[in-house]
Amino acid sequence: MLNEDRIILMTKLASYENGEGRKNVAIGNYFRSDYIGIQTAKSVLSATVAFAVVFGMYVLYDLENFMLNIYKMDLFVFAKNVLTWYGVVVIGYALLTFFICTYRYNKARKSLKNYYANLKKLASLYEKNKYS
Amino acid sequence: MSSLLEIKEVVKRIYSKYDTYIVPVFKFLIAFIAFMCIKNQLGFMPRINNVAILLIAALVCSFLPVGFMIFFAAVFILLHCYALALEAAVVVFCLFLLMFLLFFRFTPKDALCVILTPICFGLRIPYVMPLAMGLIGTPASAISVGCGTIVYYMLHFISQNSTALGATDAGEAMARLRMVIDGILGNKEMLITVVAFVFTLELVYIIKRLSVDHSWTIASIAGTIADVMILLLGDLMYDTNVSVIGILFGSIVSLGIALIIQFFVLGVDYSRTEKVQFEDDEYYYYVKAVPKMTVAAPEKTVKKINSQMGRAAHTGHTSNVATQPVRTRSEYPQQRRASAGGMVRQGAAGNTAHSPEHRNVSRQAASMTIGTQHGQQENDDDFEEI
Repeated sequence: MLNEDRIILMTKLASYENGEGRKNVAIGNYFRSDYIGIQTAKSVLSATVAFAVVFGMYVLYDLENFMLNIYKMDLFVFAKNVLTWYGVVVIGYALLTFFICTYRYNKARKSLKNYYANLKKLASLYEKNKYS
Repeated sequence: MSSLLEIKEVVKRIYSKYDTYIVPVFKFLIAFIAFMCIKNQLGFMPRINNVAILLIAALVCSFLPVGFMIFFAAVFILLHCYALALEAAVVVFCLFLLMFLLFFRFTPKDALCVILTPICFGLRIPYVMPLAMGLIGTPASAISVGCGTIVYYMLHFISQNSTALGATDAGEAMARLRMVIDGILGNKEMLITVVAFVFTLELVYIIKRLSVDHSWTIASIAGTIADVMILLLGDLMYDTNVSVIGILFGSIVSLGIALIIQFFVLGVDYSRTEKVQFEDDEYYYYVKAVPKMTVAAPEKTVKKINSQMGRAAHTGHTSNVATQPVRTRSEYPQQRRASAGGMVRQGAAGNTAHSPEHRNVSRQAASMTIGTQHGQQENDDDFEEI
């Protein structure tokens, strides 16, 4: 027999699964440290590529002077400066990712907790219906 | 006000009923307008200036996620820039790559803003973007609005300097590259606009979340004033030569649009605000409940009555000929359900005995059928008669 409460709950759950829930379930499949670790690793990779692009543009911008001065400049100091900037960019971006992903993970877990509670409620409605 | 609320309800009902068609149509329109803007602003590659190609691309975008719209737009921009000057294409590609790598990963939901912001610039109402996204978005939406602003100014710069960039002198390649980088990064107007939009968006977001009456309206007005002030101050400090009248007029129109968005998204009645206070084992609760303004949308029921047949049914007509006393539009799906159950409609025609449980199931099945409410009631009455 059709149960109105059950149908309402199932509709809500289906709507959640199709929308926000899909992303949250994907996040919830990871352990906290795994999720944040993977996202941070992706960020380090992205920041590295982005830094390479910016550095390439910087060199290209003044290529003539750069080529003229390359034999005169202290390459060790230059490389040290570049690596320092690289470190600042990558660490800064990784930290930002860490905070954003921690926030997202906590939010997703909270949302999933609510979702699982609703699933339990649905199961109990089925049980109730079975014995009534 | 009630008529406006009725219109709102009708719009909501139409949207919820036909969203399967409305969303792709809107995506198609936005994509097509964006591609046309790119064509008009740049248009250096004749092969992709054909409207048929743009229409096909927009049609493809209407069925794909919003991210693809940005991808197609970026490809069109890159192709036009490549046709103009390789250096311009390189710089634009690097800029898109940086945006993709650093920003879009965190705000995939607001990707549409990157398209909408340049379109709003074209319509002379870019100020609506920080207001609207502050009201309906998140603080992270500032990234998308900022990126959209940079894209617009980048296209504007390339369009304005197309003659210098299009020079075929190979020896000037480095100079052209420097010119593009300087033109994009050294654009004070762009920097001021980005700062103004980001600040406005965050301000609107913070104010609208305050627990004060009319917080959304206050946020929109405060955001508009802050936006205008920053842009005018920037003009005074860096002499960006922006049109003061344009800013004021655009801001007023943007404020109007923001208020319309507020009406459709929020719509609460502050005069009926209730403040309640209660406690449980762990917390004290200070709750402020603001009721939404709602009004029932007028419903139209199409009804077709055949008086002769109706009389026949009431007089206990029990032949095998299927008679239908009152037929409404919503009866057809129910009829199918009933026949699938194998009981009710057949019983009406052939006097087959059936139990009250079966009747109950059929009635519940009927109540699940989508139909007009009046028609539904009549159908239920029909079952009672059976």
